[in-house]
Amino acid sequence: MGMDIERAADDESGGVAGIVGRRALQLVSAGREQYSVLVRTMYYVARGKMEGGVLARQMYEIGNRSLFLLTVVMGFIGTILVLQAGLQTRRVVPDLSMLGASYLELLVRDLSASIVALMLATRVGAGIAAEIGSMVVTEQVDALRMCAADPIDYLVKPRFLASIVMTTVLTIWSGGVSIVTGMITADVVFQVAPKTFWNLSLVHASDLFICLVKCLAYGAAIPVVSATSGLSTFGGSEGVGWATTKAVVNSSLAVIILNFLISSAGLIAFS
Amino acid sequence: MIEIQHLSKSFGHPVLRDVTLSVPAGCLYGLIGPGASGKSLLLRMVTGLMRPDTGSVTVEGQDVLAMTELELASFRLKFGMLFQNNALFDFMTVAQNVAFPLERMFELTPDEIRDRVDERLAAVSLSGFGERAPVGLSGGQKKRVGVARATVTRAPIIFYDEPAAGLDPVTSQKIFDLLRAEQQHAKTTVIMVSSDIERLLTVTDRVGMMYRGALVFDGTTDEALTSEDRYVKQFVHGLMDGPL
Amino acid sequence: MSTPLVAVAFSPFARARDSFMALAATIGEMGIVALRIMSRLWRLDLDGRELMRNMYKMGVKSLSIVVVTALFTGAIMVVQAAPIVKRYGAQQLLGWGAGFGTLREIGPLLTALMISGRVGANNAAELGTMTVTEQIDALRALAIDPVAFLVVPRFIAMVTTLFLSTLYADALALLGAAYAGQALIGVEPMTFYNGLVSGLLGVGDVMNGLVKSVIFGIVIGLSSCHFGLSVTGGAPGVGRAVNATVVASAAGIFIVDYFVSFILG
Repeated sequence: MGMDIERAADDESGGVAGIVGRRALQLVSAGREQYSVLVRTMYYVARGKMEGGVLARQMYEIGNRSLFLLTVVMGFIGTILVLQAGLQTRRVVPDLSMLGASYLELLVRDLSASIVALMLATRVGAGIAAEIGSMVVTEQVDALRMCAADPIDYLVKPRFLASIVMTTVLTIWSGGVSIVTGMITADVVFQVAPKTFWNLSLVHASDLFICLVKCLAYGAAIPVVSATSGLSTFGGSEGVGWATTKAVVNSSLAVIILNFLISSAGLIAFS
Repeated sequence: MIEIQHLSKSFGHPVLRDVTLSVPAGCLYGLIGPGASGKSLLLRMVTGLMRPDTGSVTVEGQDVLAMTELELASFRLKFGMLFQNNALFDFMTVAQNVAFPLERMFELTPDEIRDRVDERLAAVSLSGFGERAPVGLSGGQKKRVGVARATVTRAPIIFYDEPAAGLDPVTSQKIFDLLRAEQQHAKTTVIMVSSDIERLLTVTDRVGMMYRGALVFDGTTDEALTSEDRYVKQFVHGLMDGPL
Repeated sequence: MSTPLVAVAFSPFARARDSFMALAATIGEMGIVALRIMSRLWRLDLDGRELMRNMYKMGVKSLSIVVVTALFTGAIMVVQAAPIVKRYGAQQLLGWGAGFGTLREIGPLLTALMISGRVGANNAAELGTMTVTEQIDALRALAIDPVAFLVVPRFIAMVTTLFLSTLYADALALLGAAYAGQALIGVEPMTFYNGLVSGLLGVGDVMNGLVKSVIFGIVIGLSSCHFGLSVTGGAPGVGRAVNATVVASAAGIFIVDYFVSFILG
């Protein structure tokens, strides 16, 4: 059934509405599977029992392997953003003293969590889908089921918890990195002193709360979406490549859609 | 003991057609047939890893298809399975692989688990291989670890999917002899799928042959060897001409 | 004497150095692929039918993702700009704020990331599978140049797809932003439109984004073709190549974005 919807989604009639509609259908059918995986994962999280080393290993996999990439990316983003914002603001208003303040606000409220999540959707999403997909095609997942181990409990749960924790940690770290590079850029290019830049007046508790909610939501979504792709792999080792692609794309889309939903909710709730 | 009634499945084209057979308790049942005839699919249906479109599967009086995934999980205590490509967990050692079903299924002490693992590894002539990683083993060794894992829980029903696939003739014969000895010693019910007809028929009690998703023969080993049915005769004796 | 060496080998600096060397090697290899492509392009030596086929395939495959991403991205821009608009009562500036971010940065960036995930990975998988099943060697045996036949059309198709998709995505994102502006903070679409064309944003901003999109296309194209063609280790190697393509494209996109912003800014 999933495959028929895939094929239907590749048909092209109906213009923009048709396209969005078909993609929505695709997301809905995938959404049902993902919802099922999510529910079962939460059930196993609630049940507790887990072998100690497994969680730590997953957290290491996610955290350490992405650290270099994230630091580099967020560093660059800090400079790019401050540069662009400064240039544009200078067209309108000559005073750049609030540059740091608005930058920090935006970083906390949205950018740090969302960009980290998009990067993790790529790295971690592909990794999880490839690992689980390989296990599917070598029948290891079936072997798990035959040994009375639910693959969701054994494979997805540790990755789920590790992802939530590491997304939060990495968001905080990346935020820090891009604040540093942004501060340096502001000083070197626009002569805004670091003390002026470090202006927390626009960062409210509600912004921090939204950031945390985003970290949790993204951290939960990426492994669930990727694991669903991994578990539904078929077609041998080539199928693993497809599962990886699907995981990356769907995880990224999930992050974007969740971003919109959480930000809008935050806007409505806190204004 | 295992009752399969009118099992059918289609993936756009039919892959199982109205298969009905029964395997009595304590029997070593051989399932043969050309490639893509549905043998492995049938095994998956009996263990609940896949659902048919129509039909029923009853194991020791219980309807497998009526169970939820959670019920199946505990029902699978009755099963042991050797997969076609071994499906050894490549992120664990040999000993951890063999111990895995025990840890999941029973409340045994670590010592008891270790003893059973050692006993199983000795039974498949792999003593001392416990700390090795599966990836470095030969095909025959991996198969034997798979057999150890499949039999470690002393389950009453064991499934072997192509136990000698990809092995040289000498190792193949050793595996078949090992499996037969296991079955007679533990008095288990076994379904064995294999393409190695000659060797398979030296150990089976009963034989079923599948062709294009349908069951074309179901009887004792002797009946299979002397059958005049064109399909069976050609396949069992490896003849060139005939309907296959 | 060995202990200090061991300590150095396991230190994080050594790890960073190894990563850096591997990175330099990969960039070098991609440079070679680029040169090979350039030499074919110079002679206009490429397969027209493959070009058309790939452009169609890549465009169609990415269409729905670009649409969804663009609409939501536009909406997100508005949500983020909303507090500022409210604080300064500057409804007219919403069009400008959303517009400048979208056209210069977010539009090209997100479009490139999504297409890298879909088209880039797909291309790497196809080329990788062909390599593993020796189809590339078969082409050579038939005296067909694999670069001209396979690589160059795909490369050009990817750059073109990215360029057109960014254009399309920019428009859709602004559309999404306009509607989100009305729905969430009551800014009339007309006001939004005026903010866009008021003169603070110019053609230069659009061109800025489009130049970026072309360069991103080059990054994704080089990345996927390189990793696809250098697959080793059978079918699992294809999976690794897909993984590497996606990661390398993402990193490359951000780094290139930085340099281009700096140069053009």
